[in-house]
Amino acid sequence: MLTQVAPRVVEERQTRPSAPVFALEGVQVLYAGVPAVAGVSFELYENEITAFIGPSGCGKSTLIRCLNRMNDLIASASVTGRVLYRGVDLYGDDVDPVQVRKRIGMVFQKPNPFPKSIYDNVAFGPRVLGAAKDSLDEIVERSLVKAALWDEVKDRLRSNAFGMSGGQQQRLCIARALAIEPDVILMDEPASALDPISTAAIEDLMLELVEDYSIVIVTHNMQQAARVSNRTAFFDVDLDGGRRVGRLVEYAPTETIFTNPSDQRTREYVTGKFG
Amino acid sequence: MRAPRTDRFRAGIFHGLLLSCIVISAAMLVTLLLDITLDGAGSLSFDFLTNSSSFKPELAGIWPALMGTLWLMAIVTLFVVPVGVAAAVHLEEYADPTRWWNRVVEVNIQNLAAVPSIVYGILGLAFIVRGPLSLGPVVLAGALTLGLLVLPVVIIAAREAIRAVPPSIREASLALGATQWQTIYKQVLPAAIPGIATGVILALSRAIGETAPLIVIGAASFVAFAPSSPNDVFTAVPIQMFEWISRPQEEFHQLAAAGILVLMAVLLAMNSVAIWLRNRYERKW
Amino acid sequence: MRERYQQELAALEQAVLGGIDMVVGQVDRVVEALVHQDVELASFVIADDDRIDGRYLEVHQGILSMLALQAPVAEDLRLVAALLPIVKHVERMGDQCVNIAKLLPLSGREAPRSDELVETLVRMGQFARSEVVQCRAALASRDAALAEDLVARDREVNRLQREVFRLALEAGEDYETREWAMHMTLVARMFERIGDNAVDVGEQVAFIVTGLFREFSDSSAPYSPSPG
Repeated sequence: MLTQVAPRVVEERQTRPSAPVFALEGVQVLYAGVPAVAGVSFELYENEITAFIGPSGCGKSTLIRCLNRMNDLIASASVTGRVLYRGVDLYGDDVDPVQVRKRIGMVFQKPNPFPKSIYDNVAFGPRVLGAAKDSLDEIVERSLVKAALWDEVKDRLRSNAFGMSGGQQQRLCIARALAIEPDVILMDEPASALDPISTAAIEDLMLELVEDYSIVIVTHNMQQAARVSNRTAFFDVDLDGGRRVGRLVEYAPTETIFTNPSDQRTREYVTGKFG
Repeated sequence: MRAPRTDRFRAGIFHGLLLSCIVISAAMLVTLLLDITLDGAGSLSFDFLTNSSSFKPELAGIWPALMGTLWLMAIVTLFVVPVGVAAAVHLEEYADPTRWWNRVVEVNIQNLAAVPSIVYGILGLAFIVRGPLSLGPVVLAGALTLGLLVLPVVIIAAREAIRAVPPSIREASLALGATQWQTIYKQVLPAAIPGIATGVILALSRAIGETAPLIVIGAASFVAFAPSSPNDVFTAVPIQMFEWISRPQEEFHQLAAAGILVLMAVLLAMNSVAIWLRNRYERKW
Repeated sequence: MRERYQQELAALEQAVLGGIDMVVGQVDRVVEALVHQDVELASFVIADDDRIDGRYLEVHQGILSMLALQAPVAEDLRLVAALLPIVKHVERMGDQCVNIAKLLPLSGREAPRSDELVETLVRMGQFARSEVVQCRAALASRDAALAEDLVARDREVNRLQREVFRLALEAGEDYETREWAMHMTLVARMFERIGDNAVDVGEQVAFIVTGLFREFSDSSAPYSPSPG
């Protein structure tokens, strides 16, 4: 009787994917002609948190920076293959990286607020985009509320951003990214420079934001990926004929990756048997 | 667990050497200031400031020279700040450092800062006073010459200031959908203002005392009136002082010392303005 | 902090409590069927056990997921670790109700042979039900004292089982009566097992609260025969 019931129950636990936001096809990133990440093809879905995990050097940070063309800032970097955002190839000929970044925002590992007031930090994006002056107050408040920071700073909006703790600064960076109303938020190890309490606050925030945004997060903390993400992509370093190249090893719902991964290398990584 | 005696001894000797360097430098400076002040303070008066030069020491004043210097400094500032900052921005933010012509420019800016000032005087004479620009020996020509002289200082200081802005600020700005120009104009430059201000202070401090280039381009040493436009002939305080020192009368030497005091007062005033500007922008951090 | 984690943990506990509620319902139905010789109700009990089995699988998967993804520690870890045997006991209790239900049609469509025996059985059933309710309360309120009290209640169930055994021996001489009586002793055995499972749940509750696992009553204690 137990076995008849089993398959139906287990199947209901699998998450059903919504629309794909990103579709990577044969993406390869090269630094001065040498491949750093190769042959990556998979889809990322809307209103999900997708985590990139893997040992250092596996290319997860390199790959996430392809998603908003931040790799353009590195002169020797080049990208082949297709990175489709809602069907549009981000590396197409007539695509302006500035337009890309207005829709795909990014939060960095070390909180990097501007040396200005809290208000000016959050208002910078909208100002640059040409928002009307009288709408700024409302935009700033809304973004700080969404980033769970409003109550803590509402009485000192004009004070310097550097007067806040690390965790607050990172939430300010999140508010700043939210102020331009992006579609996707990329987070490159957003909590690795923070203490556990601030990390938990950021994770709670991510779980709230995912209802309105799609989130991609790179983390070297497996437990964090386990706690927050819906889907996890595990990358590993291949010693491909003497060269180190990062490759996608397994991509599955997070629960599967951590309870029953299919690939041997995934198993070894998540159980901590190697690096 | 005290440090062993030889270590303490050596540390003490080193400390003492450093201290003596400071003491010697300060002593020299103080001696110089005292000497000048004792020499020239007696000649400072309202008349001294408002009179023009004359053959009689009791009637001589520094007014035209002072005005000349102030005009020069104003035009030099208006010239070097935009040009210097723009050059620095181009070199740091837009130029591709791997291209050979950009490397040539880099090396040459360092060299230009070390070229003797008289060479700039000759350059000014050949190209600005005569030659292509043919402005004549006027304030504008003097200011442009001095400006070229101190431009490398401003460029180098501005480049350092721009470089000191952390890349994370640029990344954050670009990631928000700002263009490179918006990032420079709204984030990098405001953050670099203190450093740029320091560079301008250094540049003006150098320019205010330069005598040789001005003499070469033909700044007059006996001018009875202050310049009323950039196209007037002019004199400057250092030139006036040089002229007075060359006269045999002892009183003129004292007037020269008074001139030095005036020059230093102007310099201090300019630096204070720049420092105030620097502090104002630093407080926003 | 960690809202989603707290919610998931609470949901897991609620799922187990809900499973215990289902067992209570099954025990009620089985006692009812016993009293009224209701064969249809008995077959309903058998079919409804699927829900309890499904709940067991759900909770099992949920526990795996919770351990792998959320890494609970301290009391949360004890709770999650204890829910595994608890929900197993719940599933076993459900199976025991099914076994009782299966025995009922075998007792024939005629009126039972001994009213006293049936009454005793019904009292056993009600005691077993109260133990299940009590273990649920102990779990929900983390009450170790309430959990330990289950031992005392269970002794009553054991006593009643010995009573049923005695009454069965005296039920009658003819073949059909003896057959019926033997089936009734099996039913009593099932009720007694339900009680034991409830006590086991209580042991797990004490573990959650204290961090120490202790058997309330040792099943290897010598069997004492019924008096008289």
